[in-house]
Amino acid sequence: MLTALREVQIPLLAVLLLGGCTVKARRALSPRPGTAGMGPTGLFLLRLRRPVMIIMFVTELSLGLGLAATAGRIGDVSVRVPATIVRTATALFFLIAVGALNEMRQRRPDSGCGCFGELSDTPIGLRTIARSVLLAASAVATIGVPPLRMPSSSAEAELWLAVLAFELALIAFLSPELGEILVRLGYSEPCELRRLPVGRTMSALYSSSQWRKYAAQLSTAEPVDVWREGCWRFVVYPGIMRGRRVDIVFAVYLQARRPAIRAAVLDADTDEVLGWAEARKSAVI
Amino acid sequence: MRHLADMPRWGDDVTDFASPARFARRPRLKAAVLGRSDESDLSPITASNGGIGPAERSLVYTVTGRILDVSPHILVLQTARGEQRFPLAASAEAWRGGSISPAALRPGDHAIVRRSLPGGPVVDRIWAEVGRVTGTIIERAGPARLLVDEGPAKGRRIVMIAPEATRRIQVRFPRLEPGYLVDVIGLKHDGFLKALIPATSQPPYRAGHAPAPPMVSGHIPDPVSGTAVWHEPGEEPESLLGLAYPALDPETSCEHGAFMPSSYAGDRHAVDPHAAGPGCVRLPYLSVGSLLRLRNDCTERTRLVPVTSCGATARLFCDRCVTCGTSRKGRIADLTMATFVELGGALEVGCFNATMMIGG
Repeated sequence: MLTALREVQIPLLAVLLLGGCTVKARRALSPRPGTAGMGPTGLFLLRLRRPVMIIMFVTELSLGLGLAATAGRIGDVSVRVPATIVRTATALFFLIAVGALNEMRQRRPDSGCGCFGELSDTPIGLRTIARSVLLAASAVATIGVPPLRMPSSSAEAELWLAVLAFELALIAFLSPELGEILVRLGYSEPCELRRLPVGRTMSALYSSSQWRKYAAQLSTAEPVDVWREGCWRFVVYPGIMRGRRVDIVFAVYLQARRPAIRAAVLDADTDEVLGWAEARKSAVI
Repeated sequence: MRHLADMPRWGDDVTDFASPARFARRPRLKAAVLGRSDESDLSPITASNGGIGPAERSLVYTVTGRILDVSPHILVLQTARGEQRFPLAASAEAWRGGSISPAALRPGDHAIVRRSLPGGPVVDRIWAEVGRVTGTIIERAGPARLLVDEGPAKGRRIVMIAPEATRRIQVRFPRLEPGYLVDVIGLKHDGFLKALIPATSQPPYRAGHAPAPPMVSGHIPDPVSGTAVWHEPGEEPESLLGLAYPALDPETSCEHGAFMPSSYAGDRHAVDPHAAGPGCVRLPYLSVGSLLRLRNDCTERTRLVPVTSCGATARLFCDRCVTCGTSRKGRIADLTMATFVELGGALEVGCFNATMMIGG
């Protein structure tokens, strides 16, 4: 049991380090350099934040790859000494992280840990620090573990999986990022904020029954006005109806598929409403 | 420069003040097609303020003009309606770089005045030659001279920090360096603004790196609360009732690709506010002509205000107003000077806590 617990730490730490490295790399190389100031890098001067973040993700990449490369045997060659060096360095890395997070919590209580990039914007709490302590302990536990091998029996494999599941659940419990991930998975941008090209609006309009109903009355091929308010885009065409100059206004709801479309006909000179029609169920603005 | 030939003819030329009829007509067309009145949708915010009438769509408290003469009791202004005389209230105050007696104002000064009662003759507040520069510092020459970029629509201004205000401004703006934001109020001079008052506290981030706003589920909350600020008229008419809205539709308004000035590409410190993200408050996309109901939470005065220009620079500032309590973070409206005064704001304060009803 204890051996299985120690062995499972190596792939787990490698995956966490490589995952953290990926999101930090994305953030450090982002065209918006201000984002590099998140997490412990916020303790440094502005000009040093990006280099510090680069050092952090290069370190995580090296440790993650090092843990994976020294986990088993390379042919018949034992990698005991390199494995010990990498695992000790990993333990040291997480111990330094515990200290840095504690310092951040004192000096920048509003800042997130930045451990997993933008997902880690929640202010540092005891959970975040406890997670680093857990990972440091995991790294210490891997020192001296013999090269990994495939489980010799199904019972041993089940034990491995059970230990892995328990530890993942524990890490998830200690991770404020989990809530953020769940929010993002279920997030759909409100229609008021959605950017939708005018071309899409016009395509939806041209294929609507409202358009077919009024197309014969329009006197120009191009609209004289197009504007947006919240979830609706409005399109105005001049037209002639029973010898009277009119403006035909279409309102197209801003959604990608089957948008609600309404139309109204107004006297071009007096703005008196002459006709009104709706297609499909409308929504709020 | 904007390339009008490159844009669709229905795009919003936000400086098209000569023929604003197209924008003014939009609320009527919208009400017709959606089958409802703008004003009926604004009931939650108007409940405590009574109904609205056509008179509310013009300035009733504010007059702008050039001072022709001033005495302890009478102010004579050259306004768009011609020469007008205003009795001064006994408690009338004036500002010209600081609080002064109204009699100390100078003929020839440009002034914006506030009436004691809506449409009444008596004036109780006068601001003379007041100006404001809001934007990104592009250059700093010596301890007191700044070149500030106010965004693609307004261009660049020179700010000279008055010696007597240096300490006060540096306390609120510790980083008067290229790439950082500045927002100062002062006296207008030929070719520059003499900065006297910090209009906010400097955001700690470099321009363009405002923190992302929290995600919103469902629809944007309505009404929205935050900070309302003011801007100088620039190319707008001085007595325009309107606001520069921070989130105009990027497909048809000032964020349209054809508007982008090429100078932003080569300047290391210039920040195009349109490319700097949504700012720290999420606002629905609107257009020039959209009607908003704006309330000054400090004076509880409410007006129906049309969007008249692009206010993307406001998105760079993730600040709060503390005029009466602490507002929510983020600038939701950049008002014309006349509108700011109309809603009871004090220009030298720079902001008021505001609530905006977007359903209009």
